[in-house]
Amino acid sequence: MELKSNVPEGPLADKWDNHRFTSKLVNPANRRKHKIIVVGTGLAGASASATLAEQGYEVSSFCIQDSPRRAHSIAAQGGINAAKNYQNDGDSIWRLFYDTIKGGDFRSREANVYRLAQVSNNIIDQCVAQGVPFAREYGGTLANRSFGGAQVSRTFYARGQTGQQLLLGAYSALSRQIKTGKVTIHTRKEMMELVLVDGKARGIVTRDIITGKLESHAADVVILATGGYGNAYFLSTNAMASNVTAAWRAHKRGAGFANPCFVQIHPTCIPVHGSFQSKLTLMSESLRNDGRVWVPKKPGDTRRPGTIPEEERDYYLESKYPSFGNLVPRDVASRNAKEQCDEGKGVGTTNLAVYLDFSEAINRDGEATILKKYGNLFQMYEKITDSNPLYEPMMIYPAVHYTMGGLWVDYNLMTTIPGLFAIGECNFSDHGANRLGASALMQGLADGYFIVATSIANYLSTTNLESVDSADQDFSDSEQQVQDRIVKLLRCSVGGPEGKLTVDEIHKELGLLLWDHCGMARNKEGLEKALSELPTLQKKFWDKVYIPGKGEELNQSLERAGRLADFLEFAEIMIRDALDRGESCGCHLREESQTEENEAQRNDAEYSHVAVWEYTGEGAEPTLHKEPLVFENVSPSQRSYK
Amino acid sequence: MWFIQFFKSSIGKKWLMAGTGCCLLLFLCSHAAGNATLFYSLALFQSYADQLHSHPLIVSIFSTGLLVIFILHIITGVLLTLQNRKARGHDYKVKKRSSPNSTASSTMIYSGLFILFFVLIHTYVVSFGDHSQISLTISYLFSSFYVIVFYITAFVVLAIHLSHGFWSMLQTFGVNHPRYNTMIRSLTYIVPAFFLLLFTAIPLLFLF
Amino acid sequence: MTTTSINLKLEIWRQKDSKATGNFETYILTNISTDMSFLEMLDVLNEQLTREGQDPVAFDHDCREGICGMCGAVVNGIAHGPEPETTLCQLHMRHFKEGETLVIEPFRSRAFPIHKDLVTDRSALDRIIQAGGYVSVNTGGMPDGNATPIPSATAELAMDAAACIGCGACIASCPNGAAMLFTGAKISQLSLLPQGHPERKERARSMVATMDKEGFGNCTNERECEAVCPKGISISNIARMNREFVKASLL
Repeated sequence: MELKSNVPEGPLADKWDNHRFTSKLVNPANRRKHKIIVVGTGLAGASASATLAEQGYEVSSFCIQDSPRRAHSIAAQGGINAAKNYQNDGDSIWRLFYDTIKGGDFRSREANVYRLAQVSNNIIDQCVAQGVPFAREYGGTLANRSFGGAQVSRTFYARGQTGQQLLLGAYSALSRQIKTGKVTIHTRKEMMELVLVDGKARGIVTRDIITGKLESHAADVVILATGGYGNAYFLSTNAMASNVTAAWRAHKRGAGFANPCFVQIHPTCIPVHGSFQSKLTLMSESLRNDGRVWVPKKPGDTRRPGTIPEEERDYYLESKYPSFGNLVPRDVASRNAKEQCDEGKGVGTTNLAVYLDFSEAINRDGEATILKKYGNLFQMYEKITDSNPLYEPMMIYPAVHYTMGGLWVDYNLMTTIPGLFAIGECNFSDHGANRLGASALMQGLADGYFIVATSIANYLSTTNLESVDSADQDFSDSEQQVQDRIVKLLRCSVGGPEGKLTVDEIHKELGLLLWDHCGMARNKEGLEKALSELPTLQKKFWDKVYIPGKGEELNQSLERAGRLADFLEFAEIMIRDALDRGESCGCHLREESQTEENEAQRNDAEYSHVAVWEYTGEGAEPTLHKEPLVFENVSPSQRSYK
Repeated sequence: MWFIQFFKSSIGKKWLMAGTGCCLLLFLCSHAAGNATLFYSLALFQSYADQLHSHPLIVSIFSTGLLVIFILHIITGVLLTLQNRKARGHDYKVKKRSSPNSTASSTMIYSGLFILFFVLIHTYVVSFGDHSQISLTISYLFSSFYVIVFYITAFVVLAIHLSHGFWSMLQTFGVNHPRYNTMIRSLTYIVPAFFLLLFTAIPLLFLF
Repeated sequence: MTTTSINLKLEIWRQKDSKATGNFETYILTNISTDMSFLEMLDVLNEQLTREGQDPVAFDHDCREGICGMCGAVVNGIAHGPEPETTLCQLHMRHFKEGETLVIEPFRSRAFPIHKDLVTDRSALDRIIQAGGYVSVNTGGMPDGNATPIPSATAELAMDAAACIGCGACIASCPNGAAMLFTGAKISQLSLLPQGHPERKERARSMVATMDKEGFGNCTNERECEAVCPKGISISNIARMNREFVKASLL
């Protein structure tokens, strides 16, 4: 596997311009002859589909939900960053670039991140023109807020529903192209396999979720915009249907998978209530501005929080990090919460939670002020937990939120398979080892609206593409493989459910294994243990999973089983990647790599690279390739929050 | 044709319903004004009737117009009910309403048909009766307890019909503004209550 | 927060596929934690059914935080259940009583054919948006975001309308199966914002025509849609659509 990043020549600020100039174009009249498949209709997928169709390509767009408007981008709350500097507070493209690359702990590619900062401004203009109702000042100009610890106000937002509004904007652009016939939309279709012809991505096999029918679709280019793999942990803030299948299938066909161990764990989520829990809900990080995090000093203290006297409370973040206190970065807050719970000091029914207490802030600023800031969050919290944070401290616990890792792509967002592009959370490109708040929406739309079309034109005009048809042998072979897999999945359900396990039971086991050993803090021993236990779990799945019903019908158990089968395989490279990365960086603490003050210790000498995994066959160990990261414009610095 | 297109659309039919309803409401106002003469004396009422019928051209133009509007209102109402039942399709096992004043809004077709029934009888007995003797006719009618009960029932039903109809008409015309909604909400009860009081007071006048 | 357990009787609409007739099946669930969400309760039922070798209940769901609009069923006669402004996934079992019978039916309307059990086809809503629920701009070359000031109150009103999650509860609960709140919300959003003005007439005509063609019923202002909308979208948006449509059709 050759990793050519294809970063253009020239000074950082000119690279994208130079690249657009040197990229080859496709004559407008010829564009309609090219068919493009886009899998996924989130911010990246919908915006790419719409943009490519506007330019004249024939686009087929696929989504797993019943409507393209429901992709999980819709759940993003906070906002979207752009270097507009509307607030005149010293922001610039360079600052957004620097913040993003520093936030990612210097594990991303300079050129990609700089381009992201460059196009961020166009995104805002585009969305405003589409009728996205961004929050505005009384004078009618766009409002901004500061977000995720940034020192400038560069986040644009639409109440707490920014993701929804941006997605509906992209969905409206997509809808317009569906109306014109340039986009054919395929809803409730799950991508099951990537089809390669002569080593190039030329199509996909899908399963119709309603009828179970397998279908082949041929094209000149395949774009994956299928999101992240956080659901490997079973519990995450991701939507229930979010999965790794499309990316994993591509990986098994030859696409390198980059940094699979980079998973962001968000510190302020509503804790798990019980074994029935199906997903976790994120609460905005801003809560930590006024809330104080604490646990009882005595392990196993089950008194109600109000009855625990001040001197028996451990405000562990404030005592450990006097200068940042409760505002330490996400990873530090998350890690410390888990540490406290592991010591038995966790609170709540499951002992997996810490308090976030607003009583001091309420005494200081009054109820009204606090409600003005956090009223909607308090409401949301109360709806789920039936407890009012005004009178009782909130309980929070970290949860898997975003995956920085993904399919390896070059500067053109093309994977190691020619003709296969990956955009949005599905690729690894821009967030390094940690993503800053309000940057996910920015990246999804940057890739979709402003970047991928240039790459595709260049690819199409420089590549010799034979004509293929979905009835060709390569397609029917792939379809057969998918069919065989479904048969294999259903194989052990024949004798009935006795002595078998349900899909979720096994998924919860996998989730726990990853959470315990491949979560926020990792060590060699734990990772090796996880790696050794994984094959047993995989075998258990294939021997014991019970899936009711048939393949040729709406069968939600079968859908979940197929996704879990891929998560089980994928978990291996996640663990291997974590094992190989002997440094602490971004979101993760590698216990062997700590400073004297027990803080994360990055190791640039050995690990300043992108770890890219290559699939080498069933049962064979995957191969690790490294793309070295070169920093010509910024110099990696070590963080300190003491 | 553009206006046929308009009236064939769902919003067009709504407008037709609201427009004809508005005309009928105006008619009700004029009718109420005429009837109000009864509060003064039977003789005044008789002279009002005589005056009215001394202009047969005006009467016939207005009553034809009224008939057309009335029929349009009924036909649209029935058509909407049938179309909407079809659009609803399979009904729910548990039927529950969550909206305000759902008793009135869900029974518009029935209250409407009852009013039609009343109007038919009213027209047969009063309008096609002897106009020169109208005051005698109503004195005679209102001497019957059953007639009074029927008459009052009809106006209670009309009030219920109006309690949704009046607000609904404004909403259809797009009259919905935070500044005026409180006023509109109270009018929703004042308007039907006004007609109910005025019309039911008449038989009671004869009773006591 | 007090966690208790309740026992429930569920009557759920079961329908094998779009052609089957379907019927209600009764299930008994014991020990349901009141901290569960409604969908987690259904998960528990499905695990139970799976272990018994029966077909689990198919239901649509995705984000489980009340924003994707994928979930939805009629619980005891109310779309998304009894809590106001709450989607089914955000409805928690503490709002139900010990021993209660819950009748769970799919969203029904002629325009929403049933695929299986509680899973319905709501693609008609997408086709309404495709008819004009957008501003016709291509990607690129847009004026600066601040080029056109929009009063903050107007932006807020537009946001109120834009909050629609497209779940279809308004249609499911409308006695007439009308899609006026859904359509009205989108027309409102784009008629309030200056960006939507150039196409407002064509948009109103086209979206209303598509809404009628898809087999949705006629609005008779019953207000059920507003009462069940999980995002609290106001029927003032229907009034605004009425004005837009009349202006577009008659003027």
